[in-house]
Amino acid sequence: MSATTAAISDDMRHADGYSAASMSPNEEPFREPLILGNPTMHDISRKIIGIIESEVTFKYLATLAITATLAVWGIFCIGYTIATGIGVWGLNNPVAWGWDITNFVFWIGIGHAGTLISAILFLFRQKWRTAINRSAEAMTIFAVICALTMVVIHTGRPWFAYWLFPYPNQMLMWINFRSPLVWDVFAVNTYFTVSLLFWFTGLVPDFATARNMVKSVVAKKIYHFFSLGWTGSTRHWHVYEVAYMIFAAISTPLVLSVHSVVSFDFATSVIPGWHTTIFPPYFVAGAIFSGFAMVMTLLVIAREILGLKDFITLKHLDNMNKIILATGMMVGYAYSMELFVAWYSKNPYEWATFYNRLTGDYAWAYWTMVSCNVISPQIYWFKKLRRNIPVMFIISIFVNIGMWFERFTIISTSLHHDYLPASWGYYSPTWVEISIFIGTFGIFLTLFLLFAKFMPMIAIAEVKGVMPNAQPHHHEENH
Amino acid sequence: MSSSVPSRKKYFKSSETFLSPETAVASNTGEFDSPPLQDDKPLFESAVSRRSFMAVLSGAMAFAAAGCRRPDHKLVPYVKSVEYQIPGIPNYYTTVFQHKNAAYGLLVKSSDGHPTKIDGNDLHPMSNGKVSAFAQATLMNLYDPDRMRRATVNNGDSTLENALTHIKDAAQAAIQADKSVRILIDEHCSPTFAKLISEVETKFPKIKFVVLPSIYADGTAEAMMKSTGFDGEILPNLSAADVILSVDSDFLGTDKFAVYHTVNFARNRKPEADKPTMSKLLAAESALSLTGSNADKRILLKPNETDDFIFGVLKEVLAVKGADAVGAEVQSHIAVAKSSHNAKLAAEELLKAGEKAVVMVGPHRSVAANAAGFAINMALGCVGAGKIIDPVMAIPNSMSKRPGIATLRDELKEGNVDVVIYAGVNPEYTADRELKALLTKVHKRFSWSLYKDETALTASVNIPTAHFIESWGDAIAPGGVITIQQPIIAPVNSASVPTADLVLKFTQLLDTSFLPDFTSYYDYLRAGYTSYFPNQQTWEKALSDGMISAAPAATPVAIAYSAPGMAQALGMKDKNTPSDIVCFVTPSYSLGDGTYANNSWLLELADPITKMTWDNVALMNATTAAKIGVKKGEVVIVSGKQGAVEVPAFIQPGVADGVVAVALGYGRTAAGQVANGVGDSAYKFFGAGESVGYYAVSIEKTGKTSVLATTQNHHTIDDEREVVKETTLAELAANKAGGNGTVKLPISLVDDYTYKGHRWAMTIDLSACTGCNSCVIACQSENNIPNVGKQDTSNGRGMHWLRIDRYFSRTAEGDENVEVSFQPMFCQHCENAPCENVCPVAATTHSPEGLNEMTYNRCVGTKYCLNNCPYKVRRFNWFNYHKKHVEPANMLYNPDVTMRMRGVMEKCTFCVQRINHGKYHAKDQGRSRVKDGEVTTACQQACPAGAIIFGDVNDKTSKVVESRKTVRGYRVLEELNVRPSVTYLEKVRNREAKAESAAHHG
Repeated sequence: MSATTAAISDDMRHADGYSAASMSPNEEPFREPLILGNPTMHDISRKIIGIIESEVTFKYLATLAITATLAVWGIFCIGYTIATGIGVWGLNNPVAWGWDITNFVFWIGIGHAGTLISAILFLFRQKWRTAINRSAEAMTIFAVICALTMVVIHTGRPWFAYWLFPYPNQMLMWINFRSPLVWDVFAVNTYFTVSLLFWFTGLVPDFATARNMVKSVVAKKIYHFFSLGWTGSTRHWHVYEVAYMIFAAISTPLVLSVHSVVSFDFATSVIPGWHTTIFPPYFVAGAIFSGFAMVMTLLVIAREILGLKDFITLKHLDNMNKIILATGMMVGYAYSMELFVAWYSKNPYEWATFYNRLTGDYAWAYWTMVSCNVISPQIYWFKKLRRNIPVMFIISIFVNIGMWFERFTIISTSLHHDYLPASWGYYSPTWVEISIFIGTFGIFLTLFLLFAKFMPMIAIAEVKGVMPNAQPHHHEENH
Repeated sequence: MSSSVPSRKKYFKSSETFLSPETAVASNTGEFDSPPLQDDKPLFESAVSRRSFMAVLSGAMAFAAAGCRRPDHKLVPYVKSVEYQIPGIPNYYTTVFQHKNAAYGLLVKSSDGHPTKIDGNDLHPMSNGKVSAFAQATLMNLYDPDRMRRATVNNGDSTLENALTHIKDAAQAAIQADKSVRILIDEHCSPTFAKLISEVETKFPKIKFVVLPSIYADGTAEAMMKSTGFDGEILPNLSAADVILSVDSDFLGTDKFAVYHTVNFARNRKPEADKPTMSKLLAAESALSLTGSNADKRILLKPNETDDFIFGVLKEVLAVKGADAVGAEVQSHIAVAKSSHNAKLAAEELLKAGEKAVVMVGPHRSVAANAAGFAINMALGCVGAGKIIDPVMAIPNSMSKRPGIATLRDELKEGNVDVVIYAGVNPEYTADRELKALLTKVHKRFSWSLYKDETALTASVNIPTAHFIESWGDAIAPGGVITIQQPIIAPVNSASVPTADLVLKFTQLLDTSFLPDFTSYYDYLRAGYTSYFPNQQTWEKALSDGMISAAPAATPVAIAYSAPGMAQALGMKDKNTPSDIVCFVTPSYSLGDGTYANNSWLLELADPITKMTWDNVALMNATTAAKIGVKKGEVVIVSGKQGAVEVPAFIQPGVADGVVAVALGYGRTAAGQVANGVGDSAYKFFGAGESVGYYAVSIEKTGKTSVLATTQNHHTIDDEREVVKETTLAELAANKAGGNGTVKLPISLVDDYTYKGHRWAMTIDLSACTGCNSCVIACQSENNIPNVGKQDTSNGRGMHWLRIDRYFSRTAEGDENVEVSFQPMFCQHCENAPCENVCPVAATTHSPEGLNEMTYNRCVGTKYCLNNCPYKVRRFNWFNYHKKHVEPANMLYNPDVTMRMRGVMEKCTFCVQRINHGKYHAKDQGRSRVKDGEVTTACQQACPAGAIIFGDVNDKTSKVVESRKTVRGYRVLEELNVRPSVTYLEKVRNREAKAESAAHHG
């Protein structure tokens, strides 16, 4: 048992009164069940496939309409940008990266929770992950799609963005391997590909379940196609488990590498505020922080609307909040270390940049970031608040705001005030940039809503595996 | 070329001959035009009819340029080669630019038949190969699509003949009715045009020419007239001066002779540790001028203190030199003068230098102040042959402006004038209200102008005139140097005619017997110089040199000093209008008087002091602003007695309390699409007989705010960053000047790259740089840099590859006064370039010659390089800025430089196209290396101060290697180990002690 679970069960001991209420009297007293309501395996299948099978509600359609409108508006603004030039954004000299790259890093960061949950927590045998890993992975995919969109359209000539790939060409031109942006291309694409395959692998048995249970002929055919002829034989299960393990092993370093590489974009530069060795771990911690916050935001809504409270329990949310608290303190540490090093280095440029962050034109962004990321998660020291749905919903949004501002602070405030005072400037976004950012949310949420409706949102096979009666346990006589 | 060639037509000739080639052929026997300046090209070898060819070619271009009619000539491909014309190889021709009455010899680059760059002619003593930003930018007006396209009569399209006949008929009627015809012209310095004028005035007594310049300042000339009998000014030679006291004289800025002065001034501003001498500039002024910005000591005066100040200096000087130096009659004035602390200090400095000192007083200041300045100069002994003020360098005020205009005013009041022809002047924009009203009462008004400007709109007949680059003419410079102004291109807009030709045609229409031998002004001009040009070769040589070497030097004007006259002049002090707030109305650093305002190069050229573009502002210091209660950017109404302007307030340190400065040249309403409605016109302050100077005003707030498109914002640097460095002469002499000697660079694991061939590098001498902006326009013109407009400029998207960073610092006194440092900033071509390694597609790479190169075609536009550039000198094409340009503006571009599309990064290339031309040239001559000085960058070529040195550091004898050895040398941000190729030489201020560790403001 890993240290994390030990801590959790330790924690449980002090919270007996609360947790016992929802447990059968014969259960192990110190361990909360991962699935509530004691459903049968068929119940689980029916419940989750039921989401696919159920009628489309008005509420769902209305939500989808809103998100799709935002997505279409965002895509229109992207088209406008490409047709006119990125001058329609507010970027300038010296601030040549603004909301575009802020959004890119933000979305890449969001994606991190998915991989962390599906890979690292899997390897650490954190069984509570099963209820949330599918949607977290889906979120990863969709977030990376948004991130890739941002990074493609931020170029001046996006129609040549494919030049960033190494491919044989008539120009006999090779990419510049010294550029962190090239590392980024590799890192993000690898990440996307692996995440997609990992997600799909996990989905295969569930597609098969869906294939078996849906009534519509067309849907059956589609699920049939994606289930790759899954029969549930032991051999299939064996191959599946091995594949899943391998993907988890491949994904684990990616969790660390992707955001480290993204941070290299800044860390390897010469700009004060960017050129910082603390960036890789700081960025990874921040990514997990923001990713968990985003998972939290979505799950709190999903379990409410889709009636998944038995699957996504307070225990899951509590665990996630603990991670948010831990990673929030990590970024808080990074903020203070950055400041300390800037002061301690006696480098006038470095210190001027950080002093400017604290007090300059963008001080409001810095203090928003600190309030949201460092101060607000501190309330998670209290278990009551960790398990309070409205509180965690608000905090998760705060964290996302804070993490967005973190990237903005790093990227834009460093640029607007660098070496030569004569070139200092100020940057503010235009309606186009804001629309595109909102549009990426539209794309993200639309994809997520479609996913929630048409794919098994909870890993059915895995959840079955963590049900109390799926495990060999000491109280055989009770079953 | 043999004269037996049939059907020879002229290319660089007057427009009439161009327009009707038949007559040109008929009249063209034995006349030749200038060969291009290519020393290695034989002049008379080809028998091919180059001119017919070029005429067709340029004709086609001109018609294409006109754009509103189908071309009726066809472009002829180069089946046979054209003499002097190798496709892709530019030719260079000399001509002259008359900036009012200042003549600047030019060298114009002509690419495939059309001018693409204006440079100074290095043989011409006024320009010394240098040129102002303003003169360079006039090229844009040449190709301005907003130029008047064709003659109009009563707003209907017409022909030249028809329009001229209209004017002739009106003039004839007026003359018959015993009424006058007045032709209003601008200031000029053309001897032939002056001759033509006098011939016309003799032949037609009813026709008179009146010089109606947009701005004029006679203070100096009047003082000279009174005290010496010479009506005019004498151009001082500042290179010989050890101490210069400028009393509100902006000789480095708005002065017509600023380029000449900058060249000479800068010669004595480059001290070295082993030769620690330089001139000392003391500047007493009320607003912060470019001259004041370059001063070693700046004395901040309120406008009404100026006369007292200069009288105080005179008193102190005479106390030492003895009153006899200027005559006993002035005693009464000296006796009452009070000498302030600053006056004593200035006098002390002047006396120390003796005859190596000179006082320059702004011609817009009172006659008394100018007289006092001259008296000091007399007392110091700097007047005389071979001295700083050498009477041979006289600028006669022969067209005495103020009296001429006063006479015109009287004539108009009396109603004697029936016909007014505006020939290149724009009184509707520049004149005072009374004169404007009087002019509109004139029965018939006609306009000959480049644009359908404010005045042209009030005229019944309009004839488009040719640009100076399209016209024949001549100009005389102080010292007697005469330059033939030769056209480099037939009028881009075929309907336009040079003004002088119009004068000739018009008068010949009035009386066919007038000057019957001449059908064009060119013939007239040429005939006037027959004695200097016995044969074709001498004519061609004069055109090729850009000056007539056979012409005799000017005879020095007689300086008959008269003490009573001086005493009288000293009595003509400023009549101070009591006012809390005084407005200083001065020409704009970018637009000048506004004649060429429809010019985006000039409109987007940052004011050297304020860094403002696309607007004029009311400059005031923080105290004045607080008193009025305005903040930067708040629009105020500045009201004078005659009129008011509505401009945003701008807080400018270094302006005296209670002074507000507003620049002229803005507020055009009919300049063209670009300039219309930009800013407000400060001409509105002028009453009858008034021009540049100080006006009592009141200021009220409007409650509106305006976006200020500055290229640089105000920030305080309160840390130890040393971007711009300075020292004092005393410290330099002690050899302590900083440089970056203390910077310790990290040890590298790899060996440095060895540059085997050339290794290009540049040095910028901050001590010489005056911030004049010449280099900025030179770079823009050479490298096809687009303008982005006000909106984008205010958002920091200006595209200038070369910008001049300006920093203010507090003076030791810590008062309202400031010190200014200029720092030209552009790509530093770092050896360890941070931009290069971050480009994912290798679009920016290092050349084996040390250049940081940008491959536009490969650029995807991630902008990462811009972010990672510590100097922020990379420029991104946010939009397709070039797309906006319509014909014929596209002819402006340098064909040697690629146009950049949107989404692409660009930046200074060290003029790589010039380097390549230099290398081809060397290769042609069988050399493997370019010689030092063979390749000049555009900025270097234009820099009047000679502050830019470019060359090959692998050539150990090159000037750039020499310049890098000085202790003044440092590299900006050297501690980053980016290893820039540009060395800056510390600015040296000529004074003893270093100022308080001055906080710089960006």
